[in-house]
Amino acid sequence: MNRHEHWRSRLAGAAVAALTVGGVLAGCSSSSSSSSSAAGPAASSPAAAPSAGSSTGASTVSTSQCGTKPGVAATGTPINLGGIVTDQPGTSFTDIANMAQAYFACVNANGGINGHPIKYYIEKEQTNASQIASEAKQLVQTDHVVGIVGNTSIIECSVDHSYWESLGYYIIDSGIAPECWSTPNSAAVNMGPRYSSDGAVQYALSQHVSKVVFDQSNVPGTTYIAAGPNALAAAAHVPITDMTTNVPISDANSVAISLVDAAGKNGAVVLNFTPPDALVILQAAQKLNIEGNVKLWGCSTPCNTDFLAKSLGPKWNGKLFVNAELTPPDPTNTPTMNLYRAILAQYGSAVSGGIGSFSQMGFVEARLMVQALESVKGAYTVASVNAAIKALKDVKTGMLCQQWTYGSYSMHIPNNEDYTVTPDNGKMVIAPGGGCTQISSVDPQIAAYRAQAGTAPADPTST
Amino acid sequence: MPSWSEFEPFIVSGLALGGVYALSGVGLVVLYRATGVLYLAFGAVGAMGAFIAWAMIQGSVPGWAAWLVCVLFGGLLTLIYGMIFGPPLARRDPLVRAVATLGLTLVLFGAMDLLWPPTGGAVRSISLPTDNGGFTVLGLNVTWTQLIGLGAGVVLTAGTAAFLRFTKLGTAMRAMANDREITATLGVPVRRVEAAAWFGCGILAGIAGLLLADLVQLDATTLTFLVISSLAAALIARLRSIAVTFAAAIVIGLVHDLLTPITALTNYRDMTPFVLAAIALLWVSRHRTVMTRSREEA
Amino acid sequence: MTVETKGGAAATAAAQRLRLLRRPQRPAHLAVVVVFAAFALFALPPLMSLYYTGYMTLVAIYSIVTLGLGLLVGRTGLYSLGQGAVLQIGAWTGARLLFATSQPFPVVVIEAGLVTMGIGTVIGLPALRLRGLYLALITLMLAGAVTVALATVNFPNGGGGFTGYNGTSVHIPPIRRPSIAGTDPAYYRYAVVVALLMFALVYAHLRTRPGRAWAAIRQSEPAALAAGINTTFYKLWAWSLASFITGVAGAMLAGQARYLYSINFSTQDSIILLAVALMGGVYNLWGAVIGALLMQLLPAILQNLGVSYAWLTILFGLGVLQVLTTAPAGIADQFPKDARRLGGLLTRLARARRPGPPRPPAAPPGTPPQAPSRGEAT
Repeated sequence: MNRHEHWRSRLAGAAVAALTVGGVLAGCSSSSSSSSSAAGPAASSPAAAPSAGSSTGASTVSTSQCGTKPGVAATGTPINLGGIVTDQPGTSFTDIANMAQAYFACVNANGGINGHPIKYYIEKEQTNASQIASEAKQLVQTDHVVGIVGNTSIIECSVDHSYWESLGYYIIDSGIAPECWSTPNSAAVNMGPRYSSDGAVQYALSQHVSKVVFDQSNVPGTTYIAAGPNALAAAAHVPITDMTTNVPISDANSVAISLVDAAGKNGAVVLNFTPPDALVILQAAQKLNIEGNVKLWGCSTPCNTDFLAKSLGPKWNGKLFVNAELTPPDPTNTPTMNLYRAILAQYGSAVSGGIGSFSQMGFVEARLMVQALESVKGAYTVASVNAAIKALKDVKTGMLCQQWTYGSYSMHIPNNEDYTVTPDNGKMVIAPGGGCTQISSVDPQIAAYRAQAGTAPADPTST
Repeated sequence: MPSWSEFEPFIVSGLALGGVYALSGVGLVVLYRATGVLYLAFGAVGAMGAFIAWAMIQGSVPGWAAWLVCVLFGGLLTLIYGMIFGPPLARRDPLVRAVATLGLTLVLFGAMDLLWPPTGGAVRSISLPTDNGGFTVLGLNVTWTQLIGLGAGVVLTAGTAAFLRFTKLGTAMRAMANDREITATLGVPVRRVEAAAWFGCGILAGIAGLLLADLVQLDATTLTFLVISSLAAALIARLRSIAVTFAAAIVIGLVHDLLTPITALTNYRDMTPFVLAAIALLWVSRHRTVMTRSREEA
Repeated sequence: MTVETKGGAAATAAAQRLRLLRRPQRPAHLAVVVVFAAFALFALPPLMSLYYTGYMTLVAIYSIVTLGLGLLVGRTGLYSLGQGAVLQIGAWTGARLLFATSQPFPVVVIEAGLVTMGIGTVIGLPALRLRGLYLALITLMLAGAVTVALATVNFPNGGGGFTGYNGTSVHIPPIRRPSIAGTDPAYYRYAVVVALLMFALVYAHLRTRPGRAWAAIRQSEPAALAAGINTTFYKLWAWSLASFITGVAGAMLAGQARYLYSINFSTQDSIILLAVALMGGVYNLWGAVIGALLMQLLPAILQNLGVSYAWLTILFGLGVLQVLTTAPAGIADQFPKDARRLGGLLTRLARARRPGPPRPPAAPPGTPPQAPSRGEAT
C-alpha cells in the first residue's frame, strides 16, 4: 500500500477519535454521569433540576434531619443495598435509583444507620431478561446486598420474582410488570400502569363521559392492564374501546384521529404511554385542532410531569386529567416535601429530571428502607433486614395519600388511592375533585388485595 | 369494513406522513446520486442537529439562530465525514460505503443518548412558528409546517433534478458518483465538487432533521431509525429517480394511514414501508439480477 | 458483491483476501481450538461469578449468530442487515415449541433451526437475485417488518393458541431448560457445546465442496459461473446454513433468557450485529467469537465499571469505520499481528536489558494492542 493511502488511513483513524470528542463537546446540555458512589455530599447543581419550578422553602430546610446524628458522617461497616433500573435509549428510570442514592448519601452524612453508612449498588439494564437475571445474581453473590430497594424496570419483577422469593428478599420497588403487584415479595410505592390507568378512567367516569377509549403502547401485558379500566367502565355501564399503538410512534396524526373518532363528542380518550409518546399524541391532536372534539382526555401517571405541562400550552388546562400517585410537589409545602427538595438540591446532582414523580418515588423508597433498617436490632443480615422490611406497617411517608404497609400478603398494592392533576400554565395542579380518591374495588385485583390487607388509613402528613 | 367517511381524515394525515417519508427519502436519493454514497446517517445527523437546536432554545438563544446552527451542523458534520472517509472508501463497493455511514449513525446515536438522556420523564419537543395556524381540510387542521414538509419534498425533487441535470456542478457530481477517477481525468476538481455535494446534502439532512423533529417527535431513536422506513421509498425508486421516490413516499404514507381504521390490520400498519419496498424490489428482480448502479453499468 | 474490475488496488485486495481466507487451515490451529474449548468448558465455569456466567452463555450463543453473519459476509459477500430478525424467528419458534411440547431440548433446538432455515430459504430464494447494497437493504426491510409483526403477535409466554401468548397473565412461567442444564453454569456448558457443534458444522462446510465454491464466488462471481459452479445454489446454501445456525442460537437464547419480550429486540440489533461481526473479523472463524465477546461481554464489564451503554454504541460505530477504512479483516486478524509485534518489542527490550542498564526509562509494553492498526498492508 502506498504512502498516500497510508496517510489517509491514519487521518481516518484520527478523525474517528476527533468525532467522538467533537460530538461530546457539541452539546450544550449536561451529560449524565453514572457515578454510583454513595459517600460524600455532591455539590449541588442548578442544572440538575430543569423542571424545578418552585423551590419554596428548599433553602430554609436543613438536610441534617434525614439522619439521627446531624452533621456526623457514618464510618462503620457499610450496609449493602442494591437496585435494578431500566436505562436504555428512550426509556430511563435511573432517576429513581439516583434519588434513593441521594437520600442514602444524606443519611450517611448525618450519622448513617447507627453509625453504619449505606452502600447502594445500582445495576442498569436494557430490558433483557438474561441480563436482568445476571444482575440480580451479581447483587447477591458479589455485592452481598442485604436488601433490594428502588427497582424500576419494565420486566424485572417477572424475571426475578422467584429468585427473590427463594432467597427471602422483600423488595421495595416502583413496579411496571404485573408480578410487581401479584407476588408476595414485591411491594411498590407507585400504582403502576394498571391501577394508574384505573385512576385515570375512574376520573373520566366521574365526569359523566358517554364512552371511554383506552389506548396504550403496544408492549407485552396490555391485556392485563386493560382489564382494570374495562372492569370499571363495565360497572359504570359506559362502553369502552381498547386500542394499542406501536411505539415509537411515527405517525401520531393517524393515532390521534382514530382515538378522537372512536371516543366521540361526549367521550373520553385515556392514554397509557411514556411521557414522550403521550406528548406526541396530544400535540398531534392539538395541531389537527381536534382536541376539543372529545369531552376530556385522561392519562396515567407518566404524563404527570411539568415537562409535559410546559410543552402542551394552555389549551389543555382543564381538558387533560392526569392520574398522580404521589402528592404533587408544586403546591405542597409540608416538611417532607421541603426535605425532599433540599436533599435533591444538595445531593441529587445525578437526578437529571429534578423534581418529579420519579425522584419522589426514589425518595419514598429510600425513606421506607431507612425506617426498616433503623428498626433492626443486632446484625444487618438478609434475614434481619428483610424481616424489618416486611414488618413495615402504616408508615407515614408524607408523599402518598395513604399510609404504607408491607405485610405478609400474597400480593401487594399498598398505594391504591390517587390524585388527579391537570396542566395549569406549565405546571401540574390538582384538578377539581381530584384530591385523594380510592381506586375502586371493582377492579378484581384491588378487591383481592383489600380482602387481605383492608384499606389503609390516610396519611395526614402528605398535605 | 369501515365506511368511506371514516377513511377520509386519514387521507389528510396520510399525505402528511408521506411528506415525512418523502423528506428523508428524497434526501437519501439526492445524496446517493451526487456522491455515490447511501448516507444512512441522514436521520442521525438531522436528529443531532435538532437536539442541538433544542438545547440552544432552552438556553434562551433565539429560535432562528438555533435553527441555523442545526442546519449548519448537518452540513459541516457531513462535510467532515465526507472529506475524511470519502477518499479511503472511494474505490470500495457502494455497499461498503453505505455500511460505513451506519458506523457514523451508531456514533451519533450513542452521543445523543449520552448528551440528552431520557431520564426523569424528560420530554423534548421543537415547535416551529409555522405550527400555529394553517387551514382546515375535512375538519382537520393542516399546519403550515406539514405543508412545508410536503412542499419541501416537491421543491427538493424538482430543484435537485434540475440542479443535477442543468448545472455544471450538478453534472460534475453525477459524473463523479458514477466514476470518480475518470471524472478526475477529465479535469473536474473532484475534491471540491465532492465537498460541495457532501455539504449540500448535510444541509438537507439538517433541514429535514428540524422539520422531522417538529412533525414526528424529537427523540433520538425515532429520528435516527426513521431513515429505515424512509429508505423504503428510495428503494422502490431503486435509488435513482427522485420523482419516483417522492411518489412512492406519498403512496406509503397514504397506505399506512388508510390501514388505521381497519381493526385487524391497524397494528401491522407500521410494516407498510417494508412490505411495499420488499414487494417492489422482488417484483423488479423477478427476471433479472438487480445490482447497485456502479462499475458494471458504467 | 459487485465485481471489481479496477486494476491494482482490487487485485491486491483480492490477493489479500485469499490469504486471509486460507489462514484457518493451518494444522497448529487444531491444538489451539482444543485448548480453547477445554478452557471454556472446564476451567472457566468455576472461575466465574453467576453474573459473568450469564453473560458468557450469551457470548456462546451470539458467537453462533456472528458465525452465521461472518459466513455470509466474509465467505460469500452477502451483507445481511437482518440477522437480528432471523434470531428473533429462531427464538420465537424455540420458545413456542418449549411451551407447547415436552420434546427433549436438543430436538426443539434443531427444530427451531430447521423452521428458521425454511423461512430463511423462502425469503432468500427471491432475495438472492438482488446484489450487494440492494440485498443488504432488503434484509433491513425484512428485519423491520419482522420486528413490527412480532411486536403485535408477541413472544410466547405460556398461553394457548398459535401464538402462545396470554396477555392477561400475572404470573408468566419461565421457558424451560434441558433437565441436565437447569443451573446457570450447566446451561453455560450446554451452550458452549452447541456453539462448538455449530462451528464444527460450518468448518466442515468450509473444508469441502461448498467452501471452495463460496471462495470462488467471493473472488469473482462471473469467473465462478464460467468454472461451472452453480452460484445461485451455493449462495442459497450459505444463506440457508446461516439461517439454520442462527435459528439454533435463537432457541438457545430462549432457554437462556427464560422470558422473551418483543421489546427486547429492535431493528438496531441487526445493525449492531453487523458492526461487531465486522469488528471481530469476517474472514476468520475466531472473528465470530471476538464479535460475540464485544457484543455481550464488553457491556457486562462496562456495566460493572459504571460506564454508560451509550459509550458502547459509540465504540461500535467507530469500530465499523475503523474496520472498513483500515483493517478489513477485523480484530481476529489484527490481534495476532499486534501480539507478535508486541512480543517482538518485548524480546528486544529484554535483550536490551540483559547487558546491564538498570531499566529502560520509557518502556510502555502495556499499550493497547489495537493502536498500531495501519500496518495491515503487506
